[in-house]
Amino acid sequence: MSRSIRLFSVVIANLQRSRSHFVLASIGIVVGIATFTFFMALGSGVRQIVLGTIFPLDQLEVVQKSLDFNLGPLQLGVGSDVLDDAKVSELATIGGVASVYPKMRLTVPAIAIGGQAILGSDLRTELIADGLEPDLVANDIAPNYVFRDFDAELRSDTTAQACTNDRECGERRYCGLPVGTRLPADPEARNAKLQVTGKVCRDYIPVIASNHVVEIYNGAIRRAHRFPRLNPQAVLGFTFDMTIGASMVRNSNKSEVIREKGMLVGFSDKAITLGITLPIGYVKRYNAAFGSERNASQYHSAVVLVPKKNDVARVAKRVGELGLDIVDTGAEQAGLLIAIFVAVFGLVSVVIVAIAAINIMHVFFMLVYERQHEIGIMRAVGATRWDVTRIILGEAALLGLIAGALGVLLALGTARFCDAISSRYIPDFPYKPETYFAFPGWLPILAIGFAIAFCILGAWFPARRAARLEPARVLSGH
Amino acid sequence: MIRIRGLCKNYRVGAKATPVLRSIDLDVERGEFVSIVGPSGSGKTTLLHTIGGLDRDFEGDIEVCGHNLKRLDDSQLSAFRNRTVGFVFQAFYLLPHRSCAENVALPALFSPEGTSTDAIRARTREVMEQVGLNSRLDDLPTVLSGGQRQRIAIARAMFNKPSILLCDEPTGNLDQAMGETIIELFRTLNRSEQVTVLLVTHDPNIARSTSRQLLVEDGRMSDMTTDEQLDRTVGTPA
Repeated sequence: MSRSIRLFSVVIANLQRSRSHFVLASIGIVVGIATFTFFMALGSGVRQIVLGTIFPLDQLEVVQKSLDFNLGPLQLGVGSDVLDDAKVSELATIGGVASVYPKMRLTVPAIAIGGQAILGSDLRTELIADGLEPDLVANDIAPNYVFRDFDAELRSDTTAQACTNDRECGERRYCGLPVGTRLPADPEARNAKLQVTGKVCRDYIPVIASNHVVEIYNGAIRRAHRFPRLNPQAVLGFTFDMTIGASMVRNSNKSEVIREKGMLVGFSDKAITLGITLPIGYVKRYNAAFGSERNASQYHSAVVLVPKKNDVARVAKRVGELGLDIVDTGAEQAGLLIAIFVAVFGLVSVVIVAIAAINIMHVFFMLVYERQHEIGIMRAVGATRWDVTRIILGEAALLGLIAGALGVLLALGTARFCDAISSRYIPDFPYKPETYFAFPGWLPILAIGFAIAFCILGAWFPARRAARLEPARVLSGH
Repeated sequence: MIRIRGLCKNYRVGAKATPVLRSIDLDVERGEFVSIVGPSGSGKTTLLHTIGGLDRDFEGDIEVCGHNLKRLDDSQLSAFRNRTVGFVFQAFYLLPHRSCAENVALPALFSPEGTSTDAIRARTREVMEQVGLNSRLDDLPTVLSGGQRQRIAIARAMFNKPSILLCDEPTGNLDQAMGETIIELFRTLNRSEQVTVLLVTHDPNIARSTSRQLLVEDGRMSDMTTDEQLDRTVGTPA
């Protein structure tokens, strides 16, 4: 049996013997470590929600740099606010950039109508939409759904199936006007054209929405209108009508419109914040149909994916050198606020643990005084100074281990309690999480290590004093 | 076995140094049973502690079983205390929260060589049998009488088979009958194990029963060779 193991048995026996002293001494450590763990977990959890869900950090949204002048209620933009393919190619060459996905905004007025199946009556709303490359959101599309430009395939397909109703077209298809059919805005002319235009089977235009939309709907809009709460998974497959070229603002109406049907196929943080996102091919065609080919080649922004967080600053600098700007998502400020929050409460917990360590020092000084004959006799039978030091520090380390583990458990329990209270009593709000806390694997290890370190620190001077006790002096009673 | 030359020791209180041992020379051979007598505060206990390596703050040379104590570092001196000498104190100094067996095996905890648990148990039983307390292995010392506690302390001192037993008034807290039993135990160990015993005592009977008597007086040491010297120092036996 090694000397260390033999000494460990002394440590265990001493802890059991003095447990009432140690229970009192360790309360501060338990509270301090619980505070430390609780706030670190809270900071980590909030950070994950804010920087992982609300403001993702692994992507930058790049726009053309522009200079705006405020003119009363209007803002006058100077310079271009679009990106072209050349700029997108340049962005892709920056080191650390995994890929660049241009985004195109729908620059044509459009209206969306639908929602009766869910809300009880149809909603009619001006449509805000943009388009992006399907690859960018491939991981966000719900299982069994597809997000791609079906119409681009259909344009080259001359065998479109004629139909008279939706049932003839099969699942997730509908019977509608052929791709690109433009109808006159005038009702009479439109009806006349509809009479002579045959229908074919079409795929719904796949659309995705931002998680923000659901959060804002569930957190605010549904309360104002007393609508039911939406489960994102339950609304997948929801369909609605779109009229491109029409607007609720009379003067914006175009002379011709295109009627389409859309289907919700997923939610993504890369989708437009308020509105819907389509495969970019649809948007390009609508912009070209109601504007010019130039409209179909100008992007309003590009999503630049930077997989490594360490590369973000360098990529951002290079983006600036290209005369482009990065949309400020507020991630940096949010990250800074969270860091300050964690630092302040981390400091408070360090102070608590430090005070507890002083208390532990007093307890160990008292124990060393009480045990001086015992230490003397151990020295008389062969204990070295280092053995005595190891025994005292071993007791402190074990105390730290136990108190630290209890502190972590207390923090875990308190976190669960807070989550339960939040779930039951706090009304829904956008991005309300199931848990506010994240307990990464390193956190308990750090917290317990922290407790052990402070306990050892507290016991250091008493251990030195114990090791320096002169056995002859304590055993002769001088 | 023990060779001391020019041993001096002072106790310092602030700047003032009080001499306790003054230029002591001593030779003790293997197997001797030596009593050390002298008035209180004369330096007997200090001499014993110095020989046992408990006190390093001295001048002169002490050689015990070939170890020059002045030259040993803390680790070597601890090993020396563990293997070469055994201490028995007037106040027993047993650990009250540990069983008799654990108290006896305390030196095994600090043994420089690793010892198996079975070997420790066997040796514990052996020494407990030597002191006649084999049935009290699992008892706490607090339930034992003074004489039994001292026998446990002797068993602890004998655990690592030391060459020398250093006993500081081992019968001071015991009645006369129990004291005689303890001294008889030392005598047995001295004879059977060839253990050298140095025993500090105030008891004239005990002093007379040892093979050699040393007088420490005012920090100086002398061999007492006549009964008159002994009578004058510790009184006549009752």
